[in-house]
Amino acid sequence: MDSNWTIRAEGLSKKFGMTLRRSMAYGLKDSLSRLCGNRVPSNVLRSGEFWAVKDVSFELHRGESLGLMGINGSGKTTLLRILNGIFAPDVGQVVMRGRVGALVAVGAGFSPMLTGRENIYVNGALLGLGKRDIDRKLDEILAFADIGAFIDSPVKHYSSGMVVRLGFAVAAMCEPEILLIDEVLAVGDINFQKKCYDYLHRLKRDGTSIILVSHSVGAIWAICDKGLLLHEGQVRSSGSVEDVLRAYSDLNARIALGRTKQSQPLPGFLQSADPLPTCYGGQKGGTGEVVVHEVTIGTLKRNGTQDDSLEFGESIAIEATIDVRTSIVSPIFRFTVDAMHYKYVASVDSFEQDLRLKTIAPGKFVLRVDIPRQNLMPGSYVLNMAVCKKGVDSHLFFWFGAASFQILHPRDKFLYSEANAVVYLGGEFSLTELAEQKVSGSMPVESRAVS
Amino acid sequence: MNPIQSTYELPVRVYTSCVQKTSIVSSLVQVVREIWMTREVVWRLFLRDFTVQFRQKVLGYLWAFLGPLIGMASFLFLNYSGILNPGELTIPYPLYLFLGMTLWGFFTGVIGVVSGGLLTHGDLVLRTSIPKIALALAGTGNVVYVQLVNLVILMILCGTVGIVPSWWALTVPLMVLPLIALAVGIGLVFSVIGALARDVTAMSTTVLNLMMFLTPVAYVPKFANRYLQNIIMFNPLSHLIEAPRNVFLRGTIEEPTAFVISSLFGFLILILGAHAFYLTQDKVAERL
Repeated sequence: MDSNWTIRAEGLSKKFGMTLRRSMAYGLKDSLSRLCGNRVPSNVLRSGEFWAVKDVSFELHRGESLGLMGINGSGKTTLLRILNGIFAPDVGQVVMRGRVGALVAVGAGFSPMLTGRENIYVNGALLGLGKRDIDRKLDEILAFADIGAFIDSPVKHYSSGMVVRLGFAVAAMCEPEILLIDEVLAVGDINFQKKCYDYLHRLKRDGTSIILVSHSVGAIWAICDKGLLLHEGQVRSSGSVEDVLRAYSDLNARIALGRTKQSQPLPGFLQSADPLPTCYGGQKGGTGEVVVHEVTIGTLKRNGTQDDSLEFGESIAIEATIDVRTSIVSPIFRFTVDAMHYKYVASVDSFEQDLRLKTIAPGKFVLRVDIPRQNLMPGSYVLNMAVCKKGVDSHLFFWFGAASFQILHPRDKFLYSEANAVVYLGGEFSLTELAEQKVSGSMPVESRAVS
Repeated sequence: MNPIQSTYELPVRVYTSCVQKTSIVSSLVQVVREIWMTREVVWRLFLRDFTVQFRQKVLGYLWAFLGPLIGMASFLFLNYSGILNPGELTIPYPLYLFLGMTLWGFFTGVIGVVSGGLLTHGDLVLRTSIPKIALALAGTGNVVYVQLVNLVILMILCGTVGIVPSWWALTVPLMVLPLIALAVGIGLVFSVIGALARDVTAMSTTVLNLMMFLTPVAYVPKFANRYLQNIIMFNPLSHLIEAPRNVFLRGTIEEPTAFVISSLFGFLILILGAHAFYLTQDKVAERL
């Protein structure tokens, strides 16, 4: 019999009205019918409602911690509020065993007119600590917050960092069996953050179950063993924290990819005899001597499929259909790659790759580039294409955003270190201890260590 | 100390879709339990608001005195100018009026803080799991304080006009309870409705102003007109205010039966209000 669980959520769902007017109307209606003793079926959507959280189930054991991930509006905060007893679920149930502490926007109930010390007592009472508990732990709280003599000045004179430190310090002393944390770890300086993480690990060792909501991969990975990825209110992925973080990063890349696609003009644009714009600034342009109609991305193995997601490290094959209208001497074909936050992170150029074409006559062509190896980091990328000519320092044709693709997170590696990195560098690490250098006149090792 | 030593002693909370307890009795049990559980929080919130107000204002709690005094001034003006005839009085009108205004102010003050409590503490409703009833009732401490201040004024007033209250005046705090119960009950209903539809609170203020003129606050409940007399008779507020006032001044209740019935009505409204609050409180957090 498994009796070790602290949270058991079964099929939790919660719906909201899209507009304030709807919510108000439904809220009044539901309340009135409840007062009249009628049961309102809550498991169906009425018009103008949506599921903020839909059918979420999970179980958490003692000392385990769950990272709740998802893009903005995916239902994380709503789920946390259900777990904290603020919202009642519309469907399903959750059982919480133990005292629940919540670090949701720390410093709830802080009054700016009161001193830090007075606020400790107010805030502590809100978190379920009595006056005697706080008296006993006051020194510990003051040491944790580490704001010195400011403790006796009004909180309205505090910096925002000091407010959060004080709030966290009070919350830290509650020692609950279940701790819910919503995006509050990214505060304070490095020392304070380290203190927070140390504290959370100590709680975990003592058996506290933690649920952490964060957009920070680093914070989730530092604390959590399990992950739950929500998307549009539903569980997209759950399991080990690494797997869920991978799914989260792939989901993010996929969404970014969707955005770049949306911003591209509809196909058909500039396909016929429309004159190409001859200036830069647009997405497409050129002299009209050559026009590229379509650029597709595939892999060497899965060539021809329209799937634009590639495995990490997988080969890339680019194909472009080209319409040459007047003959071109010494043409050069070039593709460049934009990452999410940076432009031109990679390029592949026919001249650089030793393709020396003399002249191409008018006609239709298929241009193909096989890239057998690449080490782009997981994420979404945009491909730009240009046709140039040797001896002319301008484009005959350019197309920004000709295609886009996504590099998936590898199964065998966990790439968490830097979300903005674009290129993966493989490397072998080794750590060897230096032999102690005996320099004449230097102090003995022991005394140096002391000073 | 290890926070987890034995699993079976841990509090277990279940949050489900259905409203679990629907009987009035269980609502009442829950009210008592949750208020007892949160007594310290309520006390802290009272202390907080109390000190903050004291620090923020130049006149501090002098405002508590000024409010009823200004309210009284208008009635005194009407009285001295001959427009308002309060009826036959054996005691000076200012004293009679002050007692009535104080009791009425207690009633409306409690309705005001209880009905606005959830909105005032919206932040805490959304961020902490403190029972909502505690947040709704947290403001009543302040009203009680204001009434204690009024008591001091009353003593000064009695001294000035040379009237010694009867010994029965000591029972007034008990006699006021039904009035407070009625106010809390109404306030609880307004607090949930007010959180769902914001204009209800504004509406209730207007209605309360009307109610004041249908209640013998500023005049003696004796009318030649039968309809008016009936309205006063069947208005429970009349008895809930008249009885404490008479006990304070003369040590007697003129219509004990009506007072008992009105008191029962007050407690009934309290119970129904608390029940309604429990039935609908989970809808409140969503609409804040």
